Amino acid sequence: MRDYWLSRLFYDLQSPAAVAEYRAERDKVLDRYSIGPDVRKALAENDVPFLARRTNAYLLRYYFFATGMKDEEFIRRLRHG
Amino acid sequence: MASFAGAFAASHGPLIIREWDAVPAGEKSRLENAFEELGRRLKSAQPDALIVVSPDHWSNFFLDNYPAVCLGVGAANEGPPEPWMKAFAHRDIAGHPALAMHIAEEAMRAGFEPSVSHRLKLDHGACIPLWRMGLGTLPKIVPMLVNSIEPPMPSLRRCFDWGRLLRQAIESYREPIRVAILGTGGLSHSIGEPTMGAIHEEFDRRTIRLFSSSGDALISFLEEELPRRGNGSEEVRNWLVAHGAALGRGFELVDYLPVPTVIVGCGFASWRELTS
Repeated sequence: MRDYWLSRLFYDLQSPAAVAEYRAERDKVLDRYSIGPDVRKALAENDVPFLARRTNAYLLRYYFFATGMKDEEFIRRLRHG
Repeated sequence: MASFAGAFAASHGPLIIREWDAVPAGEKSRLENAFEELGRRLKSAQPDALIVVSPDHWSNFFLDNYPAVCLGVGAANEGPPEPWMKAFAHRDIAGHPALAMHIAEEAMRAGFEPSVSHRLKLDHGACIPLWRMGLGTLPKIVPMLVNSIEPPMPSLRRCFDWGRLLRQAIESYREPIRVAILGTGGLSHSIGEPTMGAIHEEFDRRTIRLFSSSGDALISFLEEELPRRGNGSEEVRNWLVAHGAALGRGFELVDYLPVPTVIVGCGFASWRELTS
């Protein structure tokens, strides 16, 4: 399953300027996307398995790399939540 | 008429750049040697144009429109957009519009129907091998982006057949230039999925052995195995394009080593031209 707007957010955040804005004003950026409350909550909680079911694996990895999560932590969350 | 100058293949992976300092010395040395040897072979083939077959890692395409195959037919393409690739020297990469358009037209005539783009961003998939091979001045680059990232992907058979089509298109191009092919990606790796970091060395070594046998045996094996060998392994499609261009003959391994630090089973190969 692909959540188009979640994927679109991850795609857009490949730009360093967009990531900087997201880190500074996350809610303001998220308001530009049609992202439902369950997905928004998963983003706030870094719920990797929930998000993984809704987007492409490469985009997911980009997002967590761009927002500062170490690969070891990302893999741990992918496997164990 | 143009001539086929050879086929080459190399792995890529962001951590080959981002985590380079953390790669153990022995593995680093082998990676350097493999890239350099491949670069030496490519330079000795003296290509005027190089068709670089790689995936698009969401640099050009999105869910709005993700083509199975896209040919870059523009006069120039952009260097890699990734911030960590900024040290790559080439920001404006010359294309070969006439050759690229000839390939696109030949493909259409043969029922292949690629997408075309007049300006692409060549991301790390294309540019890490070009960088690490130490080519210096680049030949004219014709990018061919093959979807190995987002399902559905072109079939493995189709990718092999694409290689044969490229060979035929090169040899029917009117200018007397030399054209080589570089497939990039693979071998086994897994990105953004629970198996991330896994390298399937046995699978990689069997794949490598099968590149020396018939295309049919290789394709059958990959069709069976790829779904459980990590999503990055799907990039072997680009090696299949190179293999098809070499008419499925002359495969020669330069080196293979699993490199956990860069989470890729790293392979390097070229295809010798056989006269009979």
